[in-house]
Amino acid sequence: MKNINFYNRLGVLLILIGLLNSCTDVIDVNVPNGSNRLVVDASIKWQKGTVGETQTINLRQSTAYFDNTPDVPVTGASVTVTKENDGSVFVFADQNNGSYTATNFVPELNASYTLEILYNGNFYKATERLIAAPVINRVEQTVEGSGDDTEIQLQVFFDDPGAIENYYLGEFTPSNLPLPSLAVISDEFTNGNENFIENDNENYIAGITVDINVYGISERYYDYLSILIQQSGSDENGPFPTTPVQLKGNCTNVNDSNEEVLGYFRLGEFDTTSYTIN
Amino acid sequence: MTKKKQFKPFRSRKVQALFVVMMLYPVFFFAQTKYTISGVVKDVANGETLPGATVLLKGTSIGSTTNEYGFYSITAPEGDYTLTISYLGFTTFERAVNLSSNQNLNIEIEEDATVLDEVVITAEESKKVDLRTPQMSMTKLSTNDIKKIPVVLGEVDLIKSIQLLPGVTNAGEGASGFNVRGGAEDQNLILLDEAIIYNASHLFGFFSVFNADAIKDVKLYKGGIPARFGGRASSVLDIRQRDGNSKEFELTGGIGAVSSRLAAEGPTFKDKGSFLVAGRASYVNIFLALANENSRAGFYDLNLKTNYEIDEKNKLYLSGYLGNDSFNLAGIFTNSYGNLSGNLRWNHIFNNKLFSNVSLIYSRYNYNLEIPIEGIDWTSDISNYNMRYDLGYYASDKLKFDFGVNSIYYKFNPGKLDPLDANSGVNPEKLDNKFALEAGVYGSLEHKISDKLTAQYGLRFSYFNRLGSQILNNYANNLPVVYNQQLGIYERADPISDTNYDKGKSIATFNNLEPRFALSYQLNEKSSFKASYNRIAQYLHLISNTTSATPLDVWAPSGKFIEPQIANQYAIGYFRNFKENMFSIEIETYYKTIDNRVDYINGAELIAQNTIETEILTGEARAYGLEFLLRKNKGDFTGWVAYTLSKSEQRTPGGRAGGLGINNGKWYNSNWDRTHDFSFTGSYKLNEKCRFGANMVFQTGRPVTYPDGQFVFNGLSVATYSERNADRLPAYHRLDLSATLTPRKNENRKWQGEWVFGIYNAYSRKNAASISFGQNQETGVNEATRTAIFGIVPSVTYNFKF
Repeated sequence: MKNINFYNRLGVLLILIGLLNSCTDVIDVNVPNGSNRLVVDASIKWQKGTVGETQTINLRQSTAYFDNTPDVPVTGASVTVTKENDGSVFVFADQNNGSYTATNFVPELNASYTLEILYNGNFYKATERLIAAPVINRVEQTVEGSGDDTEIQLQVFFDDPGAIENYYLGEFTPSNLPLPSLAVISDEFTNGNENFIENDNENYIAGITVDINVYGISERYYDYLSILIQQSGSDENGPFPTTPVQLKGNCTNVNDSNEEVLGYFRLGEFDTTSYTIN
Repeated sequence: MTKKKQFKPFRSRKVQALFVVMMLYPVFFFAQTKYTISGVVKDVANGETLPGATVLLKGTSIGSTTNEYGFYSITAPEGDYTLTISYLGFTTFERAVNLSSNQNLNIEIEEDATVLDEVVITAEESKKVDLRTPQMSMTKLSTNDIKKIPVVLGEVDLIKSIQLLPGVTNAGEGASGFNVRGGAEDQNLILLDEAIIYNASHLFGFFSVFNADAIKDVKLYKGGIPARFGGRASSVLDIRQRDGNSKEFELTGGIGAVSSRLAAEGPTFKDKGSFLVAGRASYVNIFLALANENSRAGFYDLNLKTNYEIDEKNKLYLSGYLGNDSFNLAGIFTNSYGNLSGNLRWNHIFNNKLFSNVSLIYSRYNYNLEIPIEGIDWTSDISNYNMRYDLGYYASDKLKFDFGVNSIYYKFNPGKLDPLDANSGVNPEKLDNKFALEAGVYGSLEHKISDKLTAQYGLRFSYFNRLGSQILNNYANNLPVVYNQQLGIYERADPISDTNYDKGKSIATFNNLEPRFALSYQLNEKSSFKASYNRIAQYLHLISNTTSATPLDVWAPSGKFIEPQIANQYAIGYFRNFKENMFSIEIETYYKTIDNRVDYINGAELIAQNTIETEILTGEARAYGLEFLLRKNKGDFTGWVAYTLSKSEQRTPGGRAGGLGINNGKWYNSNWDRTHDFSFTGSYKLNEKCRFGANMVFQTGRPVTYPDGQFVFNGLSVATYSERNADRLPAYHRLDLSATLTPRKNENRKWQGEWVFGIYNAYSRKNAASISFGQNQETGVNEATRTAIFGIVPSVTYNFKF
């Protein structure tokens, strides 16, 4: 909840006022092009009640911002994950398309795992804990806005444990859109109560189905995603944007700590549900 | 850590000794037989006191200007003189005086009104530069000047008007606040009748809170800031409310596209005083209701002023301001915020050389936000009690001494969170209140060394005490932010313990000596050189990491973790009046540094943050530039051309936290850095019925950070960013036009009306307020989206006076 930038919503208000006839349009902009960097898209996702033995990690390269084929696979790397408490090593086999898969993975709540990647003579490393997820209680549908300018909003509810600080990621994937929407919250002001994650979307229309996953995440990953979400909004920047910053993940080149490695290695349990908008 | 001494280069015994000598200097000047003439200068039409009028003994260089309350005092050798008084837009007053004894002379002068219509303000204003006074980097605008400038939706706007001056920019159209000589928004001291205004914006920055009907005049100090001001690093915007017509009852008002205004004023207390009540309210809500929208947005202002003359030597003033904004976005959130201020003043004239004023001032800014869906009810406020005692001693024809004391007690409520209703999942929470005392003692001596050379020596001593009660965290090595070497990021440190400071107990104290020097050297009748230096300590910091401040942002006092900002500014300038004062030129160049400027770690969370210290690093800022202002002061056509070439940047090394710092410790452009800033504003009087106005603005686009790549993560395309503020939005430019029509039937009747037609952004330039980057939701393709706030905006306003 804390990452909500209240004023992002003002953009909507200012357009509503109409008098101020603000407008948005898509334009061509020349942007700088940094070098191609290694991208570690390593999300270990463990659905509640499953074994979670099959896991996939993707390695890619970054591209120029307006490149229309951004998915550039990195092949030929050696990828392993080590479970720190018992030393077991899971080898993620190169599928030759940028993805690396393990079929014998053993997830354990709160256990520490270390990702190791050997690629092009460089050694990359990241360590993270597997975080527990809450049980989804229910999903509610409400209408946000008024008049002609309304959006359907979904809230997914779950109970927050009172003893500790918790951070959650909600992933909303509607059947009519190619992209998932992400939202993160912390329990800072709602500790021990029933919490919810909300998501509104102008493409939510009656009849479509939205797959919803709720993950437990670490504080550091929460910080990472907060910046990522804030910087990926294409139309809700509002009148008070913040200055975009470099997104620094948890993977580093052990040989050269100055190398910028993109992406994140994280492990999360999740609960899932599916909701049909009515 | 608690005792801080900021003052270094001027901390020598010599300087201190010199200062003491300066203070005593006036004492040695009573040898010759001299007499003093003093009094108050007023407008004959409405009895308003006239501050800043030039009072001179003709044919000599002996003279002075009236102070904020219209008071003047001149001391000269015995003899016969002609006393002349000149003031913007007024007929020059002359009277023969025989100076053979001390005398009191109150004078009422007449507006230069060859025009019968009183609503159309005479264009014959003499704004020639004052070549003699050492004060530089200061611009004074009268309400009449401001009313002539075309504005968005016809809403006369003081803050938008000063942005047409050289050295004043902002962070984009619709952005709140303004930036002076590369300084940040929170470095402007905005005073309305001496009360500190914390947020000068209505509707998030589209309009300002000052109702022109209630304002007498405005002074903007960009540099050479006099010693009586302190507490903000970059500028002082000194706004004075009108006293109200003391001769007759009068109603003025206007009906505009956004708001309507009404002001009533007149004599009171059996002609011993006057009053002014001015109100303004928007009616955006009516349009929203007509458009069948459930959203609401609106604001209002109320200005009050009254004064009472007890006797010749004592006068009381009471002034107040109340303003508020409220929004309701169709049940998504409701939001309100506003300023409240009050000031009670007592002018006392001890004798014809010594003028004094005591002020008791209160001001408050409060903020409320309710978000039904989250069940949040959020309130925050900042309030202060302020006491000032200022004296002016007109020692001789060569010396004028200003001195005084000032003390402010602050209470900060950074936020209180309550559940909105029984269903809310929010736990009540209160961020720690903060308390502080800021005090200042100052002295300033204006010394006419010769007919050509005048100097001003000023010194302010400021003291800041951050007070309990508060519980503050302690961190390992006293580092609330630590550098994570492995990941290359700054992270919040976990507290290791805390310290409980009792009520009234000092948490940290700071004191600073702030020298202010200014010098003017008159080359000839028409031109002069001026130079100035000022050092100012700023103890409050606005905590904001958005491009421009939002109404939600809270102020944080200096203390255990945040040091006061220290500004040093050097400026020199050349000033010239020519063509019989029809034109004036002002050229200034400045260099300014600011120490202890707060910056924010990547991913800083500032909203509802109880431990601000874990989100910030301390750096520095610097700015330099060249300003050029050409004014045409007289004739049917008046106006100015302003051009500024400048640079404003900041850097934040890692310091004790380690690492290179924010943006790798490199200098980066501030959000309001505009390399080129050109503006033209003009007003042309065709005849008694018609006046036209125009603005032209051209500015380098504001600095922004563009993505330098993308990567696919979790099914999304994510932008990567590197160097901060290294790119720029496209250049900003626009043209505004206005026409003021005064119907002929105004002549010889009480009711005076005028129509003002305006076009803002006449060629409908789509100026980018921001460009954001993201993935198109339907196609998944990356795109750049431009937000332009104003297209072409026509407006009509009707003003009246009765």
